[in-house]
Amino acid sequence: MKKFILAASVLMAVYSCQKEVQKPTENKTEVSSETPKSNNKIVTLNGGITEIVAALGHEKEIVATDVTSTYPESLKTTAENLGHVRSITIEPIMAVSPTLILGSDKDINPELMEKIKASGIKTETFKQEYTVEGTKKLIADVAKAIGNTDYQKLNDKIDADLKQIQPIAKKPKVLFIYARGNMMMVAGKNTPMAALINLAGGENAVNDFEDFKPLTPEAVVKANPDVLFFFSSGLQSSGGNEGALKMPGVSQTNAGKNKKIIAMDGGLVSGFGPRLGEAAVSLNKLLVESTK
Amino acid sequence: MKAQSKLYFYIMLSTVLLLFLAVWSLNTGVYDFGDKSAFEVLWKVIRGDSDLSLSDKYIVWEVRASRIVMAIIIGSMLSVSGTSLQGLFRNPLATGDLIGLTAGATLMAAITIVLGGHFREYLPEVVQFSLVGIAAFTGSLLAMLLVYKISTSGGKTNVVMMLLTGVAISAIGFSITGFLIYISKDEQLRDLTFWNMGSLAAATWTKNIILAVILTVSYFILLPKGKALNAMMLGERDAQHLGINVEKLKKQIVIIVSLMVGSCVAFSGTIGFVGLIVPYILRLLFKSNYNFILPLSAILGSVLLLTADTVSRSVVEPSELPIGILTAMMGAPIFIAILLKFKKSV
Repeated sequence: MKKFILAASVLMAVYSCQKEVQKPTENKTEVSSETPKSNNKIVTLNGGITEIVAALGHEKEIVATDVTSTYPESLKTTAENLGHVRSITIEPIMAVSPTLILGSDKDINPELMEKIKASGIKTETFKQEYTVEGTKKLIADVAKAIGNTDYQKLNDKIDADLKQIQPIAKKPKVLFIYARGNMMMVAGKNTPMAALINLAGGENAVNDFEDFKPLTPEAVVKANPDVLFFFSSGLQSSGGNEGALKMPGVSQTNAGKNKKIIAMDGGLVSGFGPRLGEAAVSLNKLLVESTK
Repeated sequence: MKAQSKLYFYIMLSTVLLLFLAVWSLNTGVYDFGDKSAFEVLWKVIRGDSDLSLSDKYIVWEVRASRIVMAIIIGSMLSVSGTSLQGLFRNPLATGDLIGLTAGATLMAAITIVLGGHFREYLPEVVQFSLVGIAAFTGSLLAMLLVYKISTSGGKTNVVMMLLTGVAISAIGFSITGFLIYISKDEQLRDLTFWNMGSLAAATWTKNIILAVILTVSYFILLPKGKALNAMMLGERDAQHLGINVEKLKKQIVIIVSLMVGSCVAFSGTIGFVGLIVPYILRLLFKSNYNFILPLSAILGSVLLLTADTVSRSVVEPSELPIGILTAMMGAPIFIAILLKFKKSV
């Protein structure tokens, strides 16, 4: 008898799940009927690439993006958010019936790439380099992929923006801290942050390793940065300026002593897309202020 | 004979449940077939209808159907491997995790994810895509060989030694994996995390065929072992007296289990709990009669994993919940409920 009760309860559980599951599918159909009529239905899987497509005037063709595509904000209402690129699966991509998938070669994992290739959807992956030249090339490549050759204005804007950067006589040492609550990493060489810091007239505080490393008190004291640099969201998650000053080792550094903490939008800092010049100028302003 | 017909009845019942689940799963997902149902599309795929859109066909056949089949196969193999090991070791906690197979597989997978960039490009494309899988399988086999070598002397395997060696190998495996996590880049770290929580998203028919072959060969040898495992409960010496070749049994089970666990981890990452929860439930229902619980765990493992996978890809649409989280989440309450129910009789 007990076995039957167990079997019956499993069946009921399954049934109730099924009902819940069907609801969102119904809603989806309504949304997809509103999607704009255009030649392309693009899925972009990288914040910088999303910005380029939008800046070239093809924002309405973007039907879905990944979690790093936070700009332009209007995409929130017009495109589906597929989540983090490392956990995206093929079905949600196919569900928006795209004609073109754009992503960076570093972001898409091999399993998903295999599925995408098998699905037959046209896909272009780009190499992203965190330099001005690399960004311009990326803009040109993406423009070519979506069939728009009118990209020079974006590159010109980057140059125009970059001209506004004020040289800083004594380059401040800037330490970028990637903070998500208790987990903290610092940016070394070859990171978008290091590249932007250099562009903006600062000096990346740690250059003895590449990519990101966990933050240790000794390393912070040794690096002795003049300025601490965060993503706005990251700074918030670790308790704002107060929280940052309490981080191990920070109070021993110049930045801690002088309370020099700056924060910028994560998408703007790490995008390396059409807003690169803008990002560099903003950071430059913050650095100039903090060295006064 | 009566017991035999009872077994067939339960097998039938759980197979019907599994079929019901498969139908539900096929119809679940974010992709919209328009006015058609997933079954109509599947029927058209089977008949080779030409007016079917390529995307519809791809989703039903390559994405959903292949994933359902993979969930069925992997759930079944993980569950049977747990049941067999528990019977062999007379320990309800014995699983591939405990004797170090999962640690070995995870270690090799981590090495490939973190350091693979240095050699991946020199390999043929087919291998590149399944590099992590191949590595995981090798890791599981190596761990098994090591455990077996250390715990066997004079042709006899000491079960306690085997479990302890498993613990040691797990410690080594996870500490090196920990080091790799430390030196890994952001995106590698994410791959490692998702790998450790398991996913069936990478299912393909090629992988299913490989898994099905492994399953068939393994079950051909393992499933008739119910009687031998029942005898093992009396202790190794008594089992020997009953005419069971204990050493041969140990060897067969350990090799087949590492083959099954290794290939499961290779294709889906580490999915915990299945090998522990299914046999445990069955043992509570049927006592430790391996004639019953060995074949039934083969089906109920599939039921558990298919349910978990279908829920995993539908609760947080359009994203996906890692399946390992769900197997634990779904298994644990059932586990506790049954524990409470049978508290007095145990």
